[in-house]
Amino acid sequence: MSAAPSPLATIRATALGYAPRVLQGRGWVLAVCAIGPVALVLGGHLVARLQGVDSSAGEAVQIFHEMIRMMLPIMALVAAPAGIREDLEQRTLPLLLVRPAPAWALPLGKGLPWFLWGALWLMVGTLGLGLLGGDPAQLPGRLGAQVGAWWGELALLTLAGLLFKRGTLWGALYFFIWEPLVRIFPPFLQRLTFTHYIESLAGSRSTSVQTSQLLAQEQVTTHPLLAFLVLVAFGALCWALAGWKLQRTPVGLAGSEAEG
Amino acid sequence: MIALDRASLRYGPILGLSPTTFELPDGGGITGLLGPNGAGKSSLLQLLSGLLPPSGGAVRIFGEAPFRNPAVLARLGLVPEGDRLPTGLRAGRWLRMMGQLSGLSGAALDQAVAQSLATVGMTDRAHLPFVRMSKGMRQRIRLAQALMHGPELLILDEPFNGLDPEARLTLMALLRGLAEGGVRILVSSHILGEIAQLTDRILLLFRGRLLAEGTVTEIRQLLDRHPVELRLTGEAQVLARWAVEQPELAALRMEEGAVVLSVRSPREFFPRLQRAAAEGGIPLRALDPLDLNLDAVFQYLTKDHA
Repeated sequence: MSAAPSPLATIRATALGYAPRVLQGRGWVLAVCAIGPVALVLGGHLVARLQGVDSSAGEAVQIFHEMIRMMLPIMALVAAPAGIREDLEQRTLPLLLVRPAPAWALPLGKGLPWFLWGALWLMVGTLGLGLLGGDPAQLPGRLGAQVGAWWGELALLTLAGLLFKRGTLWGALYFFIWEPLVRIFPPFLQRLTFTHYIESLAGSRSTSVQTSQLLAQEQVTTHPLLAFLVLVAFGALCWALAGWKLQRTPVGLAGSEAEG
Repeated sequence: MIALDRASLRYGPILGLSPTTFELPDGGGITGLLGPNGAGKSSLLQLLSGLLPPSGGAVRIFGEAPFRNPAVLARLGLVPEGDRLPTGLRAGRWLRMMGQLSGLSGAALDQAVAQSLATVGMTDRAHLPFVRMSKGMRQRIRLAQALMHGPELLILDEPFNGLDPEARLTLMALLRGLAEGGVRILVSSHILGEIAQLTDRILLLFRGRLLAEGTVTEIRQLLDRHPVELRLTGEAQVLARWAVEQPELAALRMEEGAVVLSVRSPREFFPRLQRAAAEGGIPLRALDPLDLNLDAVFQYLTKDHA
């Protein structure tokens, strides 16, 4: 008889076991989501320069940030269903739950390869944007914004997938209905959006607010380091809650819950 | 090893398993869990494997409650119904992960993976992705994951579904070998013949209730109001004359060179029959129980509770 594995051993085993999944179709879709905006911005910038149109590097970087803010939720919507939710839907979760490993470590273990794969491409994209020039001092903030937000958004959708039958739908509603409202939110509600922390890290939008945007509220900012810590802590909290949910929820062979 | 004390399971308003009490002793052996579809077999197996906690009563495996209990889960293996496996993975790598999640590492893990693959005859095909495996191959891999950590209790839910006859025989031989090696095996099926070939110790479930427990013969003896049918081959007239004098006789039918008896209380009837034959009191050449098999027991019990 073998001893039960530690939580770290469980996370490591699950992450390594499922790692090949990121090299399949869904993983490449994720990579395209991360790298696509860079390719488009670089391509557009190059075409503009070739046609003799004045296209500044700053503008291109601004476009990139607008695009990636939209792509990050799409990446989370692509990756999260391939996490622990996939085992629940395919009814293969019981095979994992009858192991002596701590069940609460499984969501993070299965989500980790997706996080690392997405983070890799996001970093490649951000560094690739450096080809345009721009201020190198802003690079750490941009990297922190993307990796931190990706960590938090993936964790949030994983949790939603375990809490709700239509977790992906609820996640999509949050990202595409709640988040855009940040422009008209009062300061305390701005802090309940990823956009607030991304902008606190990667740059303010305040300069881009037009006079026509009469409803726009004054933007509040959080210190970049604190903003990064909030994203990391929020993600960790979501992974922990997802683990707690799985640990305490009876999941039967049919994938349904019984009244315990 | 296994003890249920009025354990029940509800799925919301639906009762999956009525309060059930039974015990299985330590040591190897095969116990069949028998019942038609919807009888509560999977519910019972989910309680035993720790996937679901009981809604009422208590379940004890190795003396402890199994739900999310690593001490119990380290000692049991489960092969759930169906042939589902995670998409996009290969058998060898997946088995390694399952071994690690069972606490194996290093050389012990390598050995467990190799041994479990060899046991199910899949060593040469461990590199294949699950999507390219046949149903039988996937079933073998699912069995391998349940065996690799050397469980003392092996639970299989409808393991013969979808297997071709050769694969069934192979699996049966494998299970018998494991049972002889000291593994307690609990195997569910709704097909009587499968269980009858594996074991005569059964738990009979019907509509969420445990109807009977024991060997086929023991259970059959509980059913006094359903007489046992026996064919006595020999001099039919003499045999019939002897039979009508027996108080257990319920009915008699003559055949060519034989007489078919329906008798109650076979435990009292059989010794008397044996004695009479041994002393030469009746010209008995052969004795065939016609309905002392699993099908008959199942039909009788389920008819009574329908």
